[in-house]
Amino acid sequence: MRLGSYLLWAAVATAVGILVLLGYFVQLDAIPAEGWLQSIFQLRLLLMRWAVLLAGVALFVGLINLLAVHWSKVSEQARGWGYSAVFLLAFLATLILGLIFGPDSAAVLLFFNYIQMPVETTLSALLAITLALAGFRLLARRPDLISAIFIGTAFLVLLGSGPGLIPSGGMLDSFFGGLRNWLAQVSAAGGARGILLGVALGSIMTGLRVLLALDRPYGDE
Amino acid sequence: MMGLDFLGLTVLALMIILLVIYLAMGKRQAPIFREIPAFEALKGAIERAVEAGERVHFSLGTGSVIGTDVAPALAGLATLAEIARVTSLSDRPAVVTTGDGAMAILAQDTLRSAYTQAGALDRYRPIAARMLGPTPFSYVASLPTLLSSEDVSVHILLGAFGAEGALAADFGERQNCFVMAGTDDVQSQALLYATAAHPLIGEEIFAGGAYLRRDRAHLASLRVQDAMRLILILGILLEALLGLLGVDL
Repeated sequence: MRLGSYLLWAAVATAVGILVLLGYFVQLDAIPAEGWLQSIFQLRLLLMRWAVLLAGVALFVGLINLLAVHWSKVSEQARGWGYSAVFLLAFLATLILGLIFGPDSAAVLLFFNYIQMPVETTLSALLAITLALAGFRLLARRPDLISAIFIGTAFLVLLGSGPGLIPSGGMLDSFFGGLRNWLAQVSAAGGARGILLGVALGSIMTGLRVLLALDRPYGDE
Repeated sequence: MMGLDFLGLTVLALMIILLVIYLAMGKRQAPIFREIPAFEALKGAIERAVEAGERVHFSLGTGSVIGTDVAPALAGLATLAEIARVTSLSDRPAVVTTGDGAMAILAQDTLRSAYTQAGALDRYRPIAARMLGPTPFSYVASLPTLLSSEDVSVHILLGAFGAEGALAADFGERQNCFVMAGTDDVQSQALLYATAAHPLIGEEIFAGGAYLRRDRAHLASLRVQDAMRLILILGILLEALLGLLGVDL
């Protein structure tokens, strides 16, 4: 019985996957008004709408799950439970304000503009410092030729594009500007295309494994 | 008027046929692949974490299930299945985080399957897989607290990441964790190369199932990737040669 239900889910997932995938290989000037082709296209559209709807429901389930995690931390007084308490209070405050005044109201936007936006902007700024430090740490952690080339290239690109690092308009500026363009447009672009080909093949094979039910992220029992 | 993309369908059919052939061949001869240092180091790090009663944290990234960047997270789920099985009997089982609700549900399913296969379903807790935050930076902002409060010593990032992936990896390094990180985005890969001690480059992110689980389907799919790469390289070289000879395709 268990095997039967598992096979049923695998068959449904495979059939839906093939139907949606084949839509990318068929080009139509216009969707026919009637006939089997029209039915298939309508079914494909319906399935894709279901996917969007289910993703919305999944976000809600994810939020419930997040609440459960922090609630259990607070109730067990686990390490860092204070952060969880702050999260629960902020979550409830935002939810109540959103339900009463609407998601675009000034009260809810206040949370976004004065809490979420500054925190996210701070993290973006922190990223620049983190990367500069990571460059130095990389040489200490992996002192090899590849790391040296990596850091050297980053430094040359920075010289060629960073304002104020070298006097503008001079010979040095022109040299490093040209070098930066060559590095970015020739060597980096060539290497990136090679990597992208590998990533694309890996992505296709991962999709095919799921499509053929060789990988079953929806349960393997 | 209906048109079919014959080239696309042919390539897809070729990949499926090669997959079936390699799956059949895999029964008789196991393929040999090059060593990926990050996966070799990961095996030892997980063993040490289990023995020391420390936790493994697995991040599936900030991509969504219905987005175009779902493939690395799906590859991450295959790796997660093996890691969850190995750590299921540890004092502190693995914890999984993601930036998408649907991905969290898939992670819960993967954990439950792994625990069932290990005969430890009673140890499974749904909150072991959780959505940390719905935006990339809200997700990353939650990581430092999680890493310190859950006693994490192995920090694995396998999924879709943008620039925030560099911060996620750096937070792990600051906690002196073993950090392995990989994603599909080329620019983010460069950031992870600088910030993570064990980065995965290019398609290495898709090799976890083959290297850690020795799963037949994953081994066969790696062989298909290699074969298709060879065909592509030959095609590019042939086109370049024909271009030099003045033949326009």
